[in-house]
Amino acid sequence: MAQVLIVDDDPDLLGVCRVGLDALGHQVRTAETASDGLSETAISRPEVVVLDLGLPDLDGVEVCRRIRTWSDVPIVVLSADGTEDRKVEALEAGADDYITKPFGMRELSARLRVAVRHRAAAGSESATELQVGLLHLDLVHYQATYAGRELDLTAREFEFLSYLARHAGKVCTRRMILENVWGPGYASELNYLKVYAYRIRRKLGDEQGQFLQSDPSVGYRLAVPGEAS
Amino acid sequence: MKRTAIGTLAALASMAVLTVAMLPVRGSLSIATTALVLVVPVVIGVVVGGFAAGVISVIAGFLVYDFFFIPPYLTLLVGRAQNWVAAIVYVAVMLPVARVVAAMKASRARESRQATELRELFALSGLLLADKPVDELLAAVVTTVADVFGARQVAVLLPQAGRLAVAASAGDPLTGEQLSQVLPPPGSLAQVGAQPQVSGDVLVHALAAAGRPVGLLVLSPGSAVQSDREPLSLFANQVALAVERAQLREQVLQTRLTAEMARLARTLVAAVSHDLRKPLARIKASSSTLADEEVEISPEASQSLAKMIDAEADRLADLVQNLLDMSRIQAGVLEPRRALVSVHEVVTSVLADLEPSLRGHELDLALDEGLPPVDVDRTLIARVLTNIVDNAVRHAPKDTPITVAASAGAPGTVLVSVADHGPGISPERRDEVFGLLARRDDDAGAGLGLSIARTFVEAHGQRIWVEDAPDGGARFCFTLPATQDAEAEEDSWVGSGSHRR
Repeated sequence: MAQVLIVDDDPDLLGVCRVGLDALGHQVRTAETASDGLSETAISRPEVVVLDLGLPDLDGVEVCRRIRTWSDVPIVVLSADGTEDRKVEALEAGADDYITKPFGMRELSARLRVAVRHRAAAGSESATELQVGLLHLDLVHYQATYAGRELDLTAREFEFLSYLARHAGKVCTRRMILENVWGPGYASELNYLKVYAYRIRRKLGDEQGQFLQSDPSVGYRLAVPGEAS
Repeated sequence: MKRTAIGTLAALASMAVLTVAMLPVRGSLSIATTALVLVVPVVIGVVVGGFAAGVISVIAGFLVYDFFFIPPYLTLLVGRAQNWVAAIVYVAVMLPVARVVAAMKASRARESRQATELRELFALSGLLLADKPVDELLAAVVTTVADVFGARQVAVLLPQAGRLAVAASAGDPLTGEQLSQVLPPPGSLAQVGAQPQVSGDVLVHALAAAGRPVGLLVLSPGSAVQSDREPLSLFANQVALAVERAQLREQVLQTRLTAEMARLARTLVAAVSHDLRKPLARIKASSSTLADEEVEISPEASQSLAKMIDAEADRLADLVQNLLDMSRIQAGVLEPRRALVSVHEVVTSVLADLEPSLRGHELDLALDEGLPPVDVDRTLIARVLTNIVDNAVRHAPKDTPITVAASAGAPGTVLVSVADHGPGISPERRDEVFGLLARRDDDAGAGLGLSIARTFVEAHGQRIWVEDAPDGGARFCFTLPATQDAEAEEDSWVGSGSHRR
């Protein structure tokens, strides 16, 4: 289904992923070091890159940053840390999603598919209308409907939602949202996010946060219906 | 009392000698001369025995003078008025002389004792400054106090686990009866007065620093310091300060130690969770693929996944074993259960167990013949060897041989070594690799293995080190305690063997 490049320093894990993802219909290439990963990304042009953050020769976050200077290939970060800081760092360096070790093969596969699909849809950056699942946003008139029902959103709420919609499926870190929606001076106003996310969910009728998902201590994302995540 | 008796005897003896010496010539001696000579024994008596001995000497002197040297001889009668004068003057002069000499002597003795006390106090304060551990300090204190005050029993009592207990003592230990006299009711240390108290034959002095009671100084017999309360208080104050200081210092050390342990624990948890996650990631990736019914993979692939799960489960088991060993060490319950075993047998059985995890490394065995049996905890030493070989497997390039050798070491030891063809270890890191969490740059795992190896070897009182292998790579060596005389042991084995039969 997708051409995947996995960069991880554990050859045994690479072997298993090759078998598993292969069986799930992906074409898998692997690299054991950051430098191999970078050149493989440039040469074989994979549709999605899975990147371990703990590589021996170069930090994974830096690899992310370097790839982003010349490619917008989706990057799913593989972190063994479990620490939120590293994930946030990677997302802000340009990663699209993350998955924590140990992970199941089906989950990895699903994340890869989502990442690939969003990159394909994201070409319409200058669009005047956005559709994510049941949510429709008219960016010109600041009008939002959810399942055909018109939403009464404030301007800031609309901007929050449209920022997430533009990056639907991708985890947006709290700082990315604050700086883009509120402005550069607001990067530490974490409470705004909680309050706005709460209000928007209420207006959407999504109190459980299944559509507007939060990743505790990392950020928010709009889920694309029909895709496991 | 004893001093008085000795002084009196000395006076009487010298008096007898002088009297006998003067008797033959008493006719030609004037009464005044005789009286003058008889001053000598009195002075001797006072100097040796003090004032009381002096008084006895004066009386004895007077009697001797009257009896032998004042005519009529051999009676206590005093003839002429002139003789009366001599006898009265003798007594009248000698008594004040005895008094003055005795006072001088007493003050000399007091001065010398004060000088001693001062010296001892000085030495003690030097000791306090020297930052000795509190036990050592207390031992010095009680000995000094016993010396200075000539006490038979001296003890310092400090609170331990909420109750006062003897922390140091000199001379005879306090009896239970004495202790019960001394000990205040539980929890009422604060009520012990600052002034020394005498109860029975013991004297109790509270130790207080900055108004806070820290313990008790107990002395017996209490009469030893009847006249010497002040210097005792000085000592007590010094001791109290020292005790408080040492306790504070120990608290500081304890706090630092706790902080260090906490830091270590955090590092350990981070490293261990990394180590746990790696095999877990492989297992989860494999098992989730195998368990997924919609995924179709070839039998070969599923076989390889199953093998992966199996191997990684072993790895996790090893890790857990290492963690258990580690906790055993940290709990301080590591006591080798020694028995005589053959080095050959231990090495070969450990290596046989390791066979599946050698990842293509070939093992070269170089075990000398005729090695004496070693007296070790088989389980611990097996783990030492396992961890070292495992370390070599992980760091040496694939397909290079690993050499395990055993030979006679320094007298009474057998030397076991494991040599690999890896990158080796630079001299400055050779100590470090045995430290907790040490790891080589290319390895992110927790460095528990070598640290455990060192602890286990050292628990046997033996040594472990790493050096350059002759043909490149690292060689880890450790010694094992051999039985001193192999043949004698062999005999005793036979002996005990036949016993059993």
